[in-house]
Parts: sequence; structure tokens; C-alpha cells
Amino acid sequence: MTGLGGVALFLATAFTPLAHALTLWMAVEPQLVPSDAIVVLGATVSPSGILSNESTRRTDHAIDLYHRGLAPRLILLGGARDSGAIEAEIRAKLARLHSIPADAIITESRARTTREEAARVRDLARSRGIRTVLLVTNSGHMARARALFERAGFEVHPAPSDTYFEPTAPEARLMLMRGLLQEILGWLYYRIAGYA
Amino acid sequence: MIGIFMLALAGLTSVGAYLLGTRRLGLPPARLGAAVGKTLETVGAVLIFLVANLVVAVPLVVALRAVTGTFVSVYVTDDTAWLGLSLLQGLAFQWWREASGKKAGALALEERGDLG
Repeated sequence: MTGLGGVALFLATAFTPLAHALTLWMAVEPQLVPSDAIVVLGATVSPSGILSNESTRRTDHAIDLYHRGLAPRLILLGGARDSGAIEAEIRAKLARLHSIPADAIITESRARTTREEAARVRDLARSRGIRTVLLVTNSGHMARARALFERAGFEVHPAPSDTYFEPTAPEARLMLMRGLLQEILGWLYYRIAGYA
Repeated sequence: MIGIFMLALAGLTSVGAYLLGTRRLGLPPARLGAAVGKTLETVGAVLIFLVANLVVAVPLVVALRAVTGTFVSVYVTDDTAWLGLSLLQGLAFQWWREASGKKAGALALEERGDLG
């Protein structure tokens, strides 16, 4: 029975638009309203300093939101892998290249989990009077991140960084489903642990 | 389009394998259903190992963090290699069951004097 279910799930995921439909169902509606700061959650960076696609997508989206005048500050998160380049610093460099003044950028590189990111941003925000934030991450991650930031005392306006397209290649569909399952499990873990 | 091409190709090679099996290797077509059943059973075993590995990994990561003070990411569970490892575990377990079943069956026949 488990095997039949597994084969059915594999076939449905790889050869039908199931993963895309689930992504759209789970997607969070953006609330792009003026806020005190734009918070960009960490993704990954290579030790040599190349931002992952996800990290670049989030940073680009945040830069765009800043230039649209939605918030006067940009809080960039992201640590280092294997003592290499620091993601938040690379992102800050990218933001400065896009004409965002250095004094509008705040970086935080010590947080290693979404929960730690919410706690660190709370500490950074306290002295700066930041209460409302535009939260930038991918929409699958948004539900978990939003709950953590609200618990940290922020009024959260989701600003998902995804660009929706329907994958047609079976491998891309499987990867999409993998990401969805990962986020569902992450959300469950945070719920069970009482973090969100 | 790619999906349809892949499914069609897999269908074609499956028909080829069926013809090879029935005409050249003399495999009985009636046993194909049982073979599919065994395949599903093995896939089930692989999935059970996969879930078991991931379910055990999370508390282990949390315990490692607490005991060693070193940060280990829960994203360690997000690795395709888990699927490969679970596949090996599932296959080995199923073949172990299969081999033990045959041996047990052979022993039972031997005891009844029907074999050897």
C-alpha cells in the first residue's frame, strides 16, 4: 500500500502540474505597503562569495521594494558557510551597487535559523524604532517566517520573492515538490517545538 | 511535452522487455502481476526507510546541537543522498525477506520429505 502510494505520488508529481497547483495554493498574497524596514531573510552563499539563486532573487526583490519607496531601511541577513564569504555582506555590496546608501543598510550575519533571524532582527529593531516590516523570503517559507516575526513583536507585511512559472520538466516538478515538502515539514517542526 | 516523451519511451522499453521476457526468456505472463506487486512492496520498504531516516535525523540533530554545542542544520535532511541510502536499505531488507522466505519454504519442504 505504501509502495502504491509512493509510485502514485511520484507519477502525479513528475507528470502532472500537481506541484505547481500546490505552490499556488500555499502562496501568500503580497502586502506591499509602506513599512519601517525591509527584512531579507538569509538563503545561501558559496564560500567564494557567490549568492545562490534564491539569495539573489530575495535581494533583488528587496532592492526593488526600497527603490519603490516602501521602506527607508534594508535589513539584510545571512551568515557564512565554512568560514567563507558572509552572505549579508555580499548582499549589502549588491545593494550599494544599486545606489542604496550605506546608512540605510543593516546587516546581520550571526543568525543560523529562521527563529534566530527573528530574534536578532528584534534586537536590531528595538533601538531603531522599527515596528512594521516588509518580510522578503520565498512564499513556501513565508508562513513559518511570518509567524516567527509576528511572535517577535513585528507587524509583518509579506513580500514574497517568488516569480511564478509552471515547470513542465519532470525533474523541475520533483524539485518544486521537494521544496514544498521541506517547508511543510519545517513548519510542522516549528509548530511541534512551539516556535511558531 | 518532455513528460509525455519520457512516459512514451518508458512504455516502449517496457513493451520491449515484456516481449523479450515472454518470447526469448520464457517468462510466464501470468506472473507479471506478482512481479509488479513485489516491486510496489520494495518501493514501500524504501519509502518507510526514507521516512524513518528523516524522522530520526531531526531529533538527532537537535540532540547533537545540545550535547556538542556545535550548530548542525536541520537542512541536513534535505539531501538527495537520503533517497539513495534508503533505496539500498529497502532493497537489502526486501531481498533479506525474500531469501529468508525461500529458505524457510525449502526447509519446510525438506522436513516433509518433498525435497532432496
